[in-house]
Amino acid sequence: MAVSVDGVPVSTVPADTATPTATARSGPVRRARRRDLLRGLFGASAALAMTPVVAASRPPRPAPGGPAAFSFDETYRGRRIRGALTSWGPAAEAGAEWEVTVDGRPLHLMRRADGTWLSMVDHYRSYATPREAVRAAVDELGPGERLREDGPAHHTYTGGHHGLHP
Amino acid sequence: MVYIRKDVSTLTVAERRRFVNALLTIKKRGEYDEFVRIHIDHYVSDGEGGLRSAHMTPSFLPWHRRFLLDLETALRRVDPAVTVPYWDWTRDRATTAVPWTKDLLGGNGRRSDHQVTTGPFAYATGDWTIRENVTDGEFLTRDLGRAGSPIALPTASDVETALRDPVYDVAPWDSTVARGFRNRLEGWGSGSGSAAWRNHNRVHRWVGGAMLSGASVNDPVFWLHHAFVDLLWTRWQSRHREHRYLPAGPPGPGSSQYRRVVARHEKLPPWDMTPSQLDDVSRIYRYA
Repeated sequence: MAVSVDGVPVSTVPADTATPTATARSGPVRRARRRDLLRGLFGASAALAMTPVVAASRPPRPAPGGPAAFSFDETYRGRRIRGALTSWGPAAEAGAEWEVTVDGRPLHLMRRADGTWLSMVDHYRSYATPREAVRAAVDELGPGERLREDGPAHHTYTGGHHGLHP
Repeated sequence: MVYIRKDVSTLTVAERRRFVNALLTIKKRGEYDEFVRIHIDHYVSDGEGGLRSAHMTPSFLPWHRRFLLDLETALRRVDPAVTVPYWDWTRDRATTAVPWTKDLLGGNGRRSDHQVTTGPFAYATGDWTIRENVTDGEFLTRDLGRAGSPIALPTASDVETALRDPVYDVAPWDSTVARGFRNRLEGWGSGSGSAAWRNHNRVHRWVGGAMLSGASVNDPVFWLHHAFVDLLWTRWQSRHREHRYLPAGPPGPGSSQYRRVVARHEKLPPWDMTPSQLDDVSRIYRYA
């Protein structure tokens, strides 16, 4: 499935079920996606910057481990958790971007250099897969506590260099 | 005039009250929430592109040193007698002792939702409503020791292992390095076992709740924890006088870390200051 986010075509991996996340994407999620794109576009490597566009031009490759390796959709401790790999890069580093939600609200995942994942909710250790990172985040949520609708408070980092280097 | 940062267990009743009041004052003015935002905005992970100034990087220590100085400056504008105390978690390890007392940071979160309901930062006081958060939660949360799957605070021997390493940091200057004082103290390991989170990271995990999230600054223990981390850096400095912050120069264009870490004489965002300029704080404060 390809959707256009602010004029940039982006491929989304079909989840094993229908994907209302992609078709009925809410404003905040769109913003989160644009932020991810910006991060890529301003990233250290031009190859990485091209990733979302390149990914759009071909169907997603099957990942090792089958469909679970590029999407998930399950109920965990009463929370609907969903995730989909949205882009692939040539390098291991920053090569994969996941869009992940808990009860429909975006959870920002970050990748470590060793390939593991951490979330904004559980920020001081990392997990082998995005699904484990999301489950660990759910473990930390109190009864009735929800992620912010617009994602983490102000994560506006775009990968720029803050004028550090000319 | 050099001021003193004290062990939180030695503060007098009046010192505790003044420290708490200064925090509540800058919270009321909206200054405190700005610190929460800055910390969130500068958390860049090392598996992604871009410059890392605050975490998974050599400048983890100077970044938090300057961050603490900024908070302390804000507190001292309210009350010039206040300094940030440190929490020596190798010694004060009980969930009911200092700093978790009613006249300081308040106690553990309650069982049902981890809400902190005692002390000056309890939600019911109306003085500590959380506005900058990862979730829609408005109250401070803690889960001291992680009741669900208990972990222990780092020990003096864990700290000693870090202090013994004479090298400040090593390439590739990120969360994967197994040597160097910086990451031994910051605490990124590998795998899912207990060694996967050490020292600094482990304390965030032991406190839990807000301290575990990207918005960890919402719990004022953040500052007491980082004052102790900063103290440990000064101990490392005095033990290894011939060693300094690394890298001395920026990694070149061929390096995976090109433009991604802050070298000794480069500006440390968001400040107009370098790690080298934050090396020696002996004319600003010292630890008692």
